[in-house]
Amino acid sequence: MSLLVADKLTVSTTLDGAHVPVLRDLSFSLQGGKVLGLVGESGAGKSMVGRAVAQLLPAGFAVSGGSLAFAGADLVAMAAEARRNLLGRAIAFIPQEPLSALNPVLTIAAQFNEHLARIGVAARERRERMLAAFDAVHLPRGAELLTRYPHQLSGGMCQRVLIAFAFASHPKLVIADEPTTALDVTIQARIVRLIAEMQEREDTAVLFITHDLRLAAQVCDDILVLYAGRAVEYGPARKVFAAPGHPYTRCLQLANPAMHARRGLYALPERMPGLRAYAGIPGCAFAPRCPHGVDACRAAPPPLVEVGAAQGATGHVAACIRAPLTSQIAAPAEPPPEAVAAAAPILAVANLTKRFTSGGLLRRSAFTAVNDVSFTLRANEFVGIVGESGSGKSTLARLIVGLEAPSAGRIAIAGVEASDPAFAAHRRRHVQMVFQDPQSALNPRRRVASIVTQPLEAAGHIGWEERLARAGLLLGEIGLPADAALRFPAQLSGGQRQRVNIARALCALPRILIADEIVSGLDVSVQAQLLNLLAALRRERHFAMLFISHDLSVVRYLCDRVLVMTRGEVVEAGPTEQVFAAPAHEYTRALLAAVPPDDPAEVWEGLRA
Amino acid sequence: MTSILPLIARRILVSLVILVIVSALLFCILRLLPVDPAAMSLPPNATLAEIEAKRREMGLDLPLFRQYLIWAGEVLRGDFGASIHFRRGVAGLVGSTLPATVELAALAMLIAGALGIAGGLTLFHVRGTRKEPIADAGSIVLLSLPEFLWGLFFILLFGVALGLLPFTGRLSAGFERPIITGFLLIDTLLIGRPDMFVDAMKHMILPAFALGIAFSPTIMRVLRSSLIDVYQEDYIHQARLRGLSERRILLHHALKNAILPTLSLMGVQFGFLFGGTLLIEVIYSYPGMGNLMVDAVRNADLPIIQAVGLTYCVVVLVINTAVDALYLVLNPKLRVA
Amino acid sequence: MSAWTSTSRGASKSAWPAWLRSPRVLAGLAVVSAIALIALAAPLLAPHDPNEQNLVATFLPPAWANGGEAAFPLGTDSLGRCTLSRLIYGARIAMTVAIVASLGAMLIGAVLAHIAGYFGGATDWLIGRTVDVWMSFPPVILSLILMVGLGTGLRNVILAIVLVDWTRFCRVLRAEVLVVTRRDYVAAARLVGFSHWRTITREILPATLPLLITLVSLEMGIAVIVEAILSFVGMSVEPTIPTWGQMIADARQFIYDSPWNLTFPILAIFVTVLGFNVLGDGLRRTLDVRLTESRA
Repeated sequence: MSLLVADKLTVSTTLDGAHVPVLRDLSFSLQGGKVLGLVGESGAGKSMVGRAVAQLLPAGFAVSGGSLAFAGADLVAMAAEARRNLLGRAIAFIPQEPLSALNPVLTIAAQFNEHLARIGVAARERRERMLAAFDAVHLPRGAELLTRYPHQLSGGMCQRVLIAFAFASHPKLVIADEPTTALDVTIQARIVRLIAEMQEREDTAVLFITHDLRLAAQVCDDILVLYAGRAVEYGPARKVFAAPGHPYTRCLQLANPAMHARRGLYALPERMPGLRAYAGIPGCAFAPRCPHGVDACRAAPPPLVEVGAAQGATGHVAACIRAPLTSQIAAPAEPPPEAVAAAAPILAVANLTKRFTSGGLLRRSAFTAVNDVSFTLRANEFVGIVGESGSGKSTLARLIVGLEAPSAGRIAIAGVEASDPAFAAHRRRHVQMVFQDPQSALNPRRRVASIVTQPLEAAGHIGWEERLARAGLLLGEIGLPADAALRFPAQLSGGQRQRVNIARALCALPRILIADEIVSGLDVSVQAQLLNLLAALRRERHFAMLFISHDLSVVRYLCDRVLVMTRGEVVEAGPTEQVFAAPAHEYTRALLAAVPPDDPAEVWEGLRA
Repeated sequence: MTSILPLIARRILVSLVILVIVSALLFCILRLLPVDPAAMSLPPNATLAEIEAKRREMGLDLPLFRQYLIWAGEVLRGDFGASIHFRRGVAGLVGSTLPATVELAALAMLIAGALGIAGGLTLFHVRGTRKEPIADAGSIVLLSLPEFLWGLFFILLFGVALGLLPFTGRLSAGFERPIITGFLLIDTLLIGRPDMFVDAMKHMILPAFALGIAFSPTIMRVLRSSLIDVYQEDYIHQARLRGLSERRILLHHALKNAILPTLSLMGVQFGFLFGGTLLIEVIYSYPGMGNLMVDAVRNADLPIIQAVGLTYCVVVLVINTAVDALYLVLNPKLRVA
Repeated sequence: MSAWTSTSRGASKSAWPAWLRSPRVLAGLAVVSAIALIALAAPLLAPHDPNEQNLVATFLPPAWANGGEAAFPLGTDSLGRCTLSRLIYGARIAMTVAIVASLGAMLIGAVLAHIAGYFGGATDWLIGRTVDVWMSFPPVILSLILMVGLGTGLRNVILAIVLVDWTRFCRVLRAEVLVVTRRDYVAAARLVGFSHWRTITREILPATLPLLITLVSLEMGIAVIVEAILSFVGMSVEPTIPTWGQMIADARQFIYDSPWNLTFPILAIFVTVLGFNVLGDGLRRTLDVRLTESRA
């Protein structure tokens, strides 16, 4: 029995007077009690599907073709009141950012009460229902929780509350829009498990929207891969993952760094076309980036054809006219390991501690962000620091680079101690930082050329001509076209901005680069490009790097050694391969278990315990 | 609730410290006077020796710091000194005029709040429609009229041209003013004279409205922009996804959040409004602190200027502290868990 | 616009920057410039000397009403002085005070706001508390008291307004400076070797400049009002210099004899303040920091 059926659904908007489709000819069928994964990178249109179901599309967007039916009823043609009736009752949503999804000035109880009133629960039963719901989502001390405000909860707890809300009405369909993206790694696995548990118990159909193909392969029955607003592949999850029909799916797989092997990353060139370009693409939108793209691909949009048609209908389709060739796409060769000089360490940190005190005159509270951390970094070595939010890794980075002053401990850079009067200038010369958020890391009023040559500006007077020339060289190194030099950050994409970020840090030829979560928040293919770029730059320029990330697979790919941090302390350190293969500390084990395995046939530990 | 009491106590403490500093500042500024209060209080043909003696008597020959301490000591004992011009106790003068000003300001603030919130909701409601530019232009025009211009305009329109309402004093001639609390509207009701109440109200309507209208546009605009900001928030979208009606979202979710910065602004605006009572009182010959201050300024009557200036500040500080406390109560994010 | 930086989105293709194309900005500029020009050309425009008394021609209505004379286009006041001339000369004081006082308040407020927001810590606390104390005086009261302390005169009026209104700039700008200072590009500038001074002028100031400009424009309107209030109670410039507030005070006493004399200075103040407000509102919309920074 098909619960949610989309038939050639098309959603469009008007940009600069032109009619631009955001979703095109999307067709899928979700049965009751099943999980459908909607996989795509940002901008592919996956969030639009959720909004289309609720008919709460952003201003200017509308369904312009095809149909969307829920339990047989046409969602688009339905009267507004009837549709609103469905929301919260038969159709529920789990949001992406749990902490901002609840009203900050109302208690959890007030909001739950309102929700239960809406779904028709009698007043005297509500409290009981609330506590029972919290039990079901494994939230302890439910009564106390009800009196709290959303900002007093952690992200994971808040998400559980929202899941409780969603399943409170025993919905037929739950739409989970990237429900774990904003959460910590170890929490992610648990939340995914919870959703799976609730789904089984209530026999609810779930539309699981995510950018993580590995995750979808573990959790979903079927997968639909979106690219530039079109479905490029659709079929049973295991099949799609094991033998993808569409080149994009395969490249996406290969762009994800592997956890337990060190294979090369397949970095697709350029990026997915932006919204404005959609209308002008007659054929396959992926063709320009496709390793097998030919002229026929660009002529007309490829129809969805059966993959592996020789075996008969498998329900696995891909929109590619050269699908049989997809399996030939292979990852590039494993990059050669870098030689690390055995000389004296270029960075030596000993017993580094940072305490923050807060509170006014009357109350003072201390919080230890970094506690007694010691390690060394040698020239040309890439060391990764992994940990979840609050582990202190960002504070550690800021301590090393000089944005914070340590409460205790020593730092020595290339032999020069912190106590030395020339240390500050010495550090500025040798250590640079690449910041996490490309939006806030680049001054929106400076042109790219001005940003990447900023270190030269501080040194002394330098002419515009010379700066432009230097900028051109730097941009070439990081893979941006020369004409980008005169643009403003607002005109660049996230990945491009991050490259500018890296270029600025490299301009002064530092020997140590500190990268704080620089690929988080970027699409997989863009991330792959940047990782390959960093590897290439390392070969050319021979700098050492402290790479901070919460993403274990990225660290696995890039770093020789790894430090695992939690609550301000380093709990484990060693060569990356060794630590990942045989973790000694239980926290490391928990972190590793929280990542979905490379092979979906494997059992995912995180879903179990 | 218990966790905000220390925060409120701290706020009160801070206000007291501010009060002390403010009084010291006031004291110092006034000592810069080019006029000599001693000479002012004596007849014009006083000799230099007499003036000198008067200076010593008034304590004006002491170092500034000691003068301040003496004055502060007297104030704490309730002795505000004697007016040079009126030759009466300052405390009495201030005491008889303060309630009139507070009453006027309170009524005006109520009007400003009511108009501001109604206007803000209207401005928000018409956003995106064709009426928006008109409403927006209207609010800018309103913003450009300061309270004293409104006051004069009302006199011209309702007082002179239409002759509908009185525009001087608090009560018509022939009524004897009851003095119980000092708040006329309350007193007239307490002595059971509804006709006097109506008369008092008629006298207060124009000045209160002038003040209220003048300060409402800022409140309107802040409420509107707060609502716009709130509606961009994720929890509003999630509330819609849960199927709540737009009406419920506006009243129970959006307004409860948008009212916070608006309230904060109203607290700040009160300070300006309270200062605005001065002009309005002059224009409407309303016997409040404003007229007292203006007379004192014209006569360089130091003790009154000091006392009235301090009183204005005390009232503003009290209201600001109260608003801050209210904000702490209403905004759960400020309570440290 | 230098080749390096821009205070607006660089994607605009037209020759005129966005802020100059806004109808509000143009309207506001037109009104304000007109009044400024009138003020500058006062000796040429005014038909009479503003202080010239004509005791036989008191309370004349404007020329178009019956009883009016063409020689006195807007009539005369209680001492027979030409209303139009007084209005024109009054514009001088209004504009002088508006421009000088708001620039002065802006300078003090902006400098302190940037120092407080950028350096934080004890400096921020001190400046913040100073602003708090200062703002517990209602502005009208404080300016009155300052005039008592300083004495009357144009210079003191300007000084008083500067001393009262700098706090408004400081408070609003400080909030903005705090937001900008938290951005990573400020930290990046420091890391790259920029001195404090350079960081503030090259990274922070361009971001706060739009707000600053808007505030100055609005402050000019406020300064005109404050001056009018002070001259209304007789605590502004010397009585021989005509001001709009003084005209209102005079006219109010004879409101039944000549309501016109009350209306004209009211209109003058209203139009001037409206001009500044519309200009400020237009600038705020086109130079809005959030618009320029958040477009991704």
